[in-house]
Amino acid sequence: MSRTVRPAYAARVTFAIAAGIALLAAQPATQAPPAGAAPAPAFDISGYWTSPLHEDSMERGAGPEIADYGGYPLSEAGRLFALSYDPSRLTLRHHQCDGYVLPYQLRALGNSRAWEERDPHTHALVAIHWFSQTFEGKRTIWMDGRPHPPAYAPHTWMGFSTGRFVGNALEVRTTHLKHGWLSRNGLPESDQATTVEFFVRHGDRLTNTIVVTDPVFLSEAFIRTTDFYRQPVDHQTWLFPCDDGEQILGRAPDDVPNYLFGENPFVGEYSQKYKLSPAGHLGGAATMYPAIEARLRTAGVKDGLEAMRPAAGPALVSKAANPEPTDGEIHTWPLRDHVYLLAGDGGNIVVQVGDEGAFVVDTGTGKLTTKTIAAIRKLTDKPIQFIANTSFHPDRTGGNIALRAAGVDPSLKGTFFSLQFRDAGGAATIIGHQNVQNRLTAAGMRTEGHPSDTYLEERRRKFHNGEAIELLWQPNAITDGDSIVHFRRADVIVAGNVFTTTQYPFIDVANGGSIAGEIRALNEILNRTVYRHQEEGGTIVIPGHGYVSDEHEVVEYRDMVVIVRDRIRALIEKGATLAQVKAARPTADYDARYGATTGRWTTDMFVEAVFRSLGDSRKATK
Amino acid sequence: MNAVSPWHRAALCAVLALAAFGIVARAQRGGPPGAARTPQQAAPVDLTGYWVSLVTEDWRYRVVTPPKGDYTAVPLSPAGRKAADTWNPAQDEAAGDACRAYGIGGVMRLPGRLHITWQDDRTLKLETEAGTQTRLLSFAASSPGAPDWQGVSRATWDRSEPVIGGGFFAPAASPGGSLKVVTTGMKPGYLRRNGVPYSASAVFTEYFDRFALPGGDALLVVQTEVVDPTYLSQPFWTSTHFKRQADATGWSPTPCRAQ
Repeated sequence: MSRTVRPAYAARVTFAIAAGIALLAAQPATQAPPAGAAPAPAFDISGYWTSPLHEDSMERGAGPEIADYGGYPLSEAGRLFALSYDPSRLTLRHHQCDGYVLPYQLRALGNSRAWEERDPHTHALVAIHWFSQTFEGKRTIWMDGRPHPPAYAPHTWMGFSTGRFVGNALEVRTTHLKHGWLSRNGLPESDQATTVEFFVRHGDRLTNTIVVTDPVFLSEAFIRTTDFYRQPVDHQTWLFPCDDGEQILGRAPDDVPNYLFGENPFVGEYSQKYKLSPAGHLGGAATMYPAIEARLRTAGVKDGLEAMRPAAGPALVSKAANPEPTDGEIHTWPLRDHVYLLAGDGGNIVVQVGDEGAFVVDTGTGKLTTKTIAAIRKLTDKPIQFIANTSFHPDRTGGNIALRAAGVDPSLKGTFFSLQFRDAGGAATIIGHQNVQNRLTAAGMRTEGHPSDTYLEERRRKFHNGEAIELLWQPNAITDGDSIVHFRRADVIVAGNVFTTTQYPFIDVANGGSIAGEIRALNEILNRTVYRHQEEGGTIVIPGHGYVSDEHEVVEYRDMVVIVRDRIRALIEKGATLAQVKAARPTADYDARYGATTGRWTTDMFVEAVFRSLGDSRKATK
Repeated sequence: MNAVSPWHRAALCAVLALAAFGIVARAQRGGPPGAARTPQQAAPVDLTGYWVSLVTEDWRYRVVTPPKGDYTAVPLSPAGRKAADTWNPAQDEAAGDACRAYGIGGVMRLPGRLHITWQDDRTLKLETEAGTQTRLLSFAASSPGAPDWQGVSRATWDRSEPVIGGGFFAPAASPGGSLKVVTTGMKPGYLRRNGVPYSASAVFTEYFDRFALPGGDALLVVQTEVVDPTYLSQPFWTSTHFKRQADATGWSPTPCRAQ
């Protein structure tokens, strides 16, 4: 059937439609977007970009000089960390392939590529991707309004970024960065750093302004601008492979190159070479501001040297955000395969599920056990079959009794055990080192909460839910009964309190812990980890407290423990008393990250534990 | 003669409508033929106030005078290197050229504060502590006088807009914008205090951007491109940042120094 359209009517209708569309197109540019809508992109960042290295070229090219920190608003901790840094640390296996953290990656040599990711149906901008050639730094800037992950989520070199267009700039906020450096001479950026960036484009020129806020190592925001020019074609050399290897044979596993406070030999060398006072080139917020120019006209090469040692005064407390949920809920975070983190009960709990019963590592403080059991039941309809304890400490075993009672162990039912013990298999089986059982007995815990399946040496093995699981004894680390648990298929290591991201190691000397055992245990974790790419990813390491980690967090923690040990040992060798050791602040560069002056584990307690542990080992060797 | 069909007529109406409303759209975006607003009224960004430089890049080259011959990272031509190697600050001082490092090519990189104001509704005045210099960034064409250290600066507001605007398919111009300044006609001077040269034939192109920081602070970022056929073998790029001050605290202009 056909219809006749009157000419005048057709013209009027078409005009009306066209006018309507044109009016929509004619909305003023400055009109705000509808509520909830993302602002329109101010520019297109896609393309190939290269930085010209006209600024800080030596630092970004051949490399910075070791004591050149001028213009960095370092806190005391930041300066002392940098002065302690010996570049030979890069010869350690676990540092050879360290990637660059975001603030440095943007500053590095090489080419970068940016491209957009759009929803295939709506073509809304979902993300901007940025890939840097050097160390293959890959970042994603989410543009779809998603929230940042929780504090217990993993940290990465590039962090987690979200962006929006503001005026003529792309504004990007980044959290969840790894510990890394602001400059390759050891100037640190902590894992607590966050950044705000502004990208603007003028023709074929792109400028990134980054504002780094780091409560640990900076006393003010550090701001840097980096220019890029657009390359017309793909240079096709994007790879930057790195595998570690033996660079120094026979080195002891507890050897982490570092300078003791006040003994970095390159401070004087730098001062002499450039006739520059340490009052300037050792950095600090004042060195960013114009007044430094007049100061340096009169300051000599001896001025400012006092900044090479910790100032006298009380220890600092951690400025790090608490990564553990405190809302009274259990939060579930998938790790890999069927292994999950349960966070919230005052200590990390890990659970593996499958077609057999659940395998749980540690039970938290026990304050939220009902919710822990409910969280496990959301993951599996199978009962809790095994519970492994990494230590006897109450943050590892507090929920033992209730979780055990909530489970069953079918592997015991129907065996001859059931003829001897009526309740055999009627609850989950708790596994742990024999010393966990001994210590819990001594602590007076009811026997239902003790490990009944214990081991004495080396390791306990299980093959459960299709996966090899190893409990590996770590003698005399935090206590004398610590185990780490390795889920070998998922490649998840549960470290217990041997490793945390929240505090100095709780070396419980009275219960068999020691500094040497703690370092050995951290190295044992590192002996088992494999990174996926540039010292990132791969084996997942779950700390007793803190955020989901990989080997980089463990190696930085190991370095810290070794360096503090070296300092205290050096003081002891000079005859220092415990009080003198504490007054020397041997943890000064780490206190803003891990320190505490109150609570269950203070900096003083840690220093004292190391002091006594070293003293005991000296006595033992005499 | 062929008769015009109703659909042809309709299509013609549509095209006319689109063209008409496209013109409206362009006018509303600030393009011609918009109402005459002064550059001050049309400013997409407020750059006025006191700004203090944060010297976090090229620190050693900026807070002290580097040694003669240290022109790392500056893409000097052979003639440029030769000129840099003959730097003689005493001679500059004696010749009354103590401000050679405080000209357009150097002054923005020196530690110090800026004070930016509207001198009139077509001219931004930028004063520097370093060397007590004054730059006039004019939105109106001006005839060059005798060359001075700061040269003649032509300012425009720079916004991302379609190359060919208006109509159906052109996106709206982005909100916000930058100040673009092109400077020529200055006396030769130094890019760095140690005599790294630029010539009188250099062209400086700058973009001034302002960003809001968390906590209420603001940043001014000045991107600079120097093209100098005499002393540079390729364009020289820097970007320099300043933090906004609430008032004139610390404002203390200093004279030029050749050393």
